[in-house]
Amino acid sequence: MSSVFVNDIEVEVGPKDNLIQAARAAGVEIPHYCWHEALSVVASCRMCLIEVGEKKSDGTIVMGPKLVPACQTPAKPGTVVKTETPKVKTAQQMTLEFLLLNHPLDCSICDQAGECYLQDYTYKFGKAQSRLNEPKVQRLDKYHIGEQIALFTDRCVMCTRCVRFTREISGTSELQVVARGSVEEIDVFPSKPCNNKLAGNVVDLCPVGALCSKDFLYKKRVWWLKSQKSVCAGCSTGCSVEVDQNEDYVYRLRPRANPLAQGHFMCDEGRFGFKYVQSDQRLMGPTSKTISTSGTAASAVLKNGETVGKLFQPADLAVVDHWPSVIKETRERIRQAIVSNPSGFAAVLSPMMSVEEAYLLASYLKSIDRNVKLLLGPIPIVGENDCYPKGVDGSSPSVEKTKFTIRAEKCPNRFGIEAVLTHFQGSVVAIEDAIRGNHNIQSWYFVGGYPLSDEVATWVTPAIEKATVGASLLIVHDIFPSSLSMKADIVLAGAAFTERDGTFVNHRGLAQGFKAATRPPKTARADGRILSELSERRGLFNVEGIRKEIGDKIQSLESLSIGDIGIHGVELREPVGAYS
Amino acid sequence: MTNTEFEPILLARINKPDSASLASYQADGGYSGLRKALDMTQAQVIELVKASGLRGRGGAGFPTGMKWSFLPQNITGPIYMCINGDESEPGTFNNRILIEEDPHQVLEGIVIGCYATKATTAYFYLRYEYGKCYRTLQKAVDEMYAAGLLGKNILGSGYNLDIHLHRGACAYICGEETGLIESLEGKRAWPRIKPPFPAVEGAFRRPTVVNNVETMACVTHIVNRGAEWFQSMGIPKDPNNPRDAGSYGPKLYCISGHVNKPGLVELPLGVTARELIDKHAGGVWKGRKAKAVVPGGISMGFMSASELDTPLDFAGPGRVGCLGLGTAAVIVIDDHTSMVDVLYNACRFFAHESCGQCTPCREGTAWSTKILERIRSGNGKLSDIDLLLEISSSIGTIPGTTICGLADGAAWPIKNAIAKFRGELEDYIRSGRKSEAPILVGAH
Amino acid sequence: MSELSEEMKAKIREHFGHYPTKQAITLPALHMVQDAKRCVSNKAMEEIAEILELAPSQIHDTLSFYGYFRTEESPLGEKRVWICRSLPCMLRGGEELLAELCERWGIKPGETTPDGKLTLELAECLGACDGAPCMLLGDELSLRMTADSVEELVRG
Repeated sequence: MSSVFVNDIEVEVGPKDNLIQAARAAGVEIPHYCWHEALSVVASCRMCLIEVGEKKSDGTIVMGPKLVPACQTPAKPGTVVKTETPKVKTAQQMTLEFLLLNHPLDCSICDQAGECYLQDYTYKFGKAQSRLNEPKVQRLDKYHIGEQIALFTDRCVMCTRCVRFTREISGTSELQVVARGSVEEIDVFPSKPCNNKLAGNVVDLCPVGALCSKDFLYKKRVWWLKSQKSVCAGCSTGCSVEVDQNEDYVYRLRPRANPLAQGHFMCDEGRFGFKYVQSDQRLMGPTSKTISTSGTAASAVLKNGETVGKLFQPADLAVVDHWPSVIKETRERIRQAIVSNPSGFAAVLSPMMSVEEAYLLASYLKSIDRNVKLLLGPIPIVGENDCYPKGVDGSSPSVEKTKFTIRAEKCPNRFGIEAVLTHFQGSVVAIEDAIRGNHNIQSWYFVGGYPLSDEVATWVTPAIEKATVGASLLIVHDIFPSSLSMKADIVLAGAAFTERDGTFVNHRGLAQGFKAATRPPKTARADGRILSELSERRGLFNVEGIRKEIGDKIQSLESLSIGDIGIHGVELREPVGAYS
Repeated sequence: MTNTEFEPILLARINKPDSASLASYQADGGYSGLRKALDMTQAQVIELVKASGLRGRGGAGFPTGMKWSFLPQNITGPIYMCINGDESEPGTFNNRILIEEDPHQVLEGIVIGCYATKATTAYFYLRYEYGKCYRTLQKAVDEMYAAGLLGKNILGSGYNLDIHLHRGACAYICGEETGLIESLEGKRAWPRIKPPFPAVEGAFRRPTVVNNVETMACVTHIVNRGAEWFQSMGIPKDPNNPRDAGSYGPKLYCISGHVNKPGLVELPLGVTARELIDKHAGGVWKGRKAKAVVPGGISMGFMSASELDTPLDFAGPGRVGCLGLGTAAVIVIDDHTSMVDVLYNACRFFAHESCGQCTPCREGTAWSTKILERIRSGNGKLSDIDLLLEISSSIGTIPGTTICGLADGAAWPIKNAIAKFRGELEDYIRSGRKSEAPILVGAH
Repeated sequence: MSELSEEMKAKIREHFGHYPTKQAITLPALHMVQDAKRCVSNKAMEEIAEILELAPSQIHDTLSFYGYFRTEESPLGEKRVWICRSLPCMLRGGEELLAELCERWGIKPGETTPDGKLTLELAECLGACDGAPCMLLGDELSLRMTADSVEELVRG
């Protein structure tokens, strides 16, 4: 017998599973607050109490006399779990009644409504009425908890997930419990707020509306948000995320659990640093010096009162779609430039591109002439890898003890681009090396896609500026204007990572799929579509189809040939390039 | 305060001049038990304590020898013994008197216990309020170091032991085994989930055993006089019940409340409440009768007047619906006292002392206190009684709802008061009267 | 300027050999500071944290759990008088004693007299039930108290 019986349903369990996980495998929900896969077990909320017994080898079942927390009970083979007995139901009802005893019941003004464990569990397992006839304990809201974090103290259920997070994961130990008994509260040490780089995670961890993100506070009811499973493009850790949007406006990013990737959390840089995708500085449509692209949304600025969410096809702005003519012109000029001087044509592939986009561009250009140069675009590096949990003195953990890393390489797909470049050219040549000294590149196709931010300097370095002086053809394919796009012959307006589909490969060789959550602004376009049309491929740009093609052709990316790489991604067979 | 028929053992020396000093202790033959133990093997000492049937005097009544045998046998690294001097159960003061008057009796037992369990360091966790105990104990420990009874190579045996005194800070929950360990480690005293049990992973993640003060005093005498002698006192185990571990040895009974002579009495386990009150405490005061008697600290609940012939051994109080013998701290409540006031006092105590970790105890103790406050202010409802009963079920009477036993202790007084005094509670509520006693400050 | 004197810091460090972790010295350190300064200020907590290699929030977490410690917002008076209110003392007039003292001194439990001399606290079972109602002055117990005998003892 290697299985566990949950309400008479037999399930196989992993060696480290507890009974909550075993029940999940059986499709049974055991409500819980304080347990979290990534944190230590405290079994203090008592919400997960169940009856447990043992199935003997002769088939008889012996149930234990006590209620037992499912989170602290390992799923040993032969365990019998009962979650619907009268004892369990009474315990669940009482626990919920206890939790709601001093709760303000202010769902109508609480951010958590719609994704609140108290609401959900009370609905499923609780009672409709409270028998409290006494005054509730009143507590003050605390806005000083962190720059990003507010605490609505009276909603807290004292699950202590947040305290354990700052002690076990970030190591910064800012959050604590004060006082004892029913007047306990969460707080920080005076003048030492919770501002570590992983702070935003405590808001996700909080099962109720106690800890809230000041960034998201009161912005949108969660039932209006549509979630898209995607990948953060902030650094090469490649945290799996959910992108929550409504009406093409991204309200927030949340980490999603991925045992192959980062685990359960994401850093604040990625969590709050996606706002650039909604900047009104974005390139809104293609432009060309030779053909008239006036009236294009690229030159239109937002009018007063226009909200960012209405970037797509605002009704009162006549948007002219110049793509057909610009694509045609681009195609012709590329062909002309390559044919006349193949080795003088260079495409610079940014590590912000997806694997599919890099493949499309590379195969297209190489199909015109094998001597076209493909270069790796600038790799943004900021500081050093930041590992957690920290020691009390701020020291970094050893490799074995590291639970989370914010990587210095602030781009999501260097690995993938290098795999494509290695395939097409045998080696990776960085643009910095190519333009050192005398180079004879006269025609350029630059792909950017970098965020516009204060921390990351513009990717157009003085060296790149100098190298492109006097170019006979300069095509810039980007999401933000730059000094390069100002002098470019053709500017193609691409899409941010929240607006297109593709694959990123993180530092470790995990290939993950990211998906469009919103449409690009005005007439900016998903890059895969641009490149598909440019290379005159038949049919619409389809990620899974391209993956199959890539997997068949490029050995180091063979794992992509299954097309659908699922929500956790696939490990590539062997590392390539800088990581081998 | 001694019974002329029973020769005191644990309290034998407390009225002697200078009873706390090493010199006086040794003059009375002190530390001969330790010498004996050091000549035995550690396993033999554990067997001896097992054979004596000694059960912990801290409230849980767990067989001491068995507890010691749970420690891993062949490991390297530290093993800790913690002595639970946090004595905070209302009605209990026997450890205080033992430490103040005859600390060496306890300390000898501690060294013997540490030797038997191969403990490398002992931490004596002493509640802060026992200042005199602390100073007495520190003096005694210093005397022991000076005399080679502590430190390296104790009495030339090759066994090393250090004892450190660790003062608490006013929290009842530090009397709970794992709450004590957390407090010792410098954290808030939130009891740990079990497993792992302290014998496997206790203080500082090392194997640890936690024992009560009076228990260790018994150990001294067991080693001196043998298991059979110890078993000659008390109530033997029921041969028909394999789960009954018996109630052996002498016990210090604390009597307080409405009696003429509150104090400490030493008797073999098993004296009845009636005999204790009438024969040893001068009877109920002011010529009144006892309405309710707490058998072993407020956590154990109440016995009614008709239950006073219950023997106060480990099994007796359980038979009349109380939680158990607890700390054998008997509190007598006379028939001029309202059970509503008594129950309120009990609930408020637990609400104040609840560590707050688990939901049922944190919220349930405070809620029941508020309900009783409302009843005392004249606004009670009859449905409150059943509500209180339901709350007490959820916090304690149903096993497994909480991490530690404080919630059980909070539940039992409510359960017993309603079971045995429901009529009085209902009358109070119906009358709408307000309590005369002051409600100064609620739980916090 | 340091809140803890060098002497006090040295005394805290004396405990290092007694426990396998520095965190275990939290309670002894807090006692030392409060005895000397009648409260544990935020700065003191930070300095203790530094010596014990902990985060200040951990010191504060522990401190706030125990009824014994006071933060800088409510320091103690010169003398701290605890009156027990648990069941055995309640049965013999403990609550009345506490109420009487509140009235005589004009303060509520937890407060300090305006002249800073006396802090009145309510205590849970002090372990002196044989002499109920009882009192704790500092860390010394006194049994069978009345309001008059309390005043005599504290003012004497």
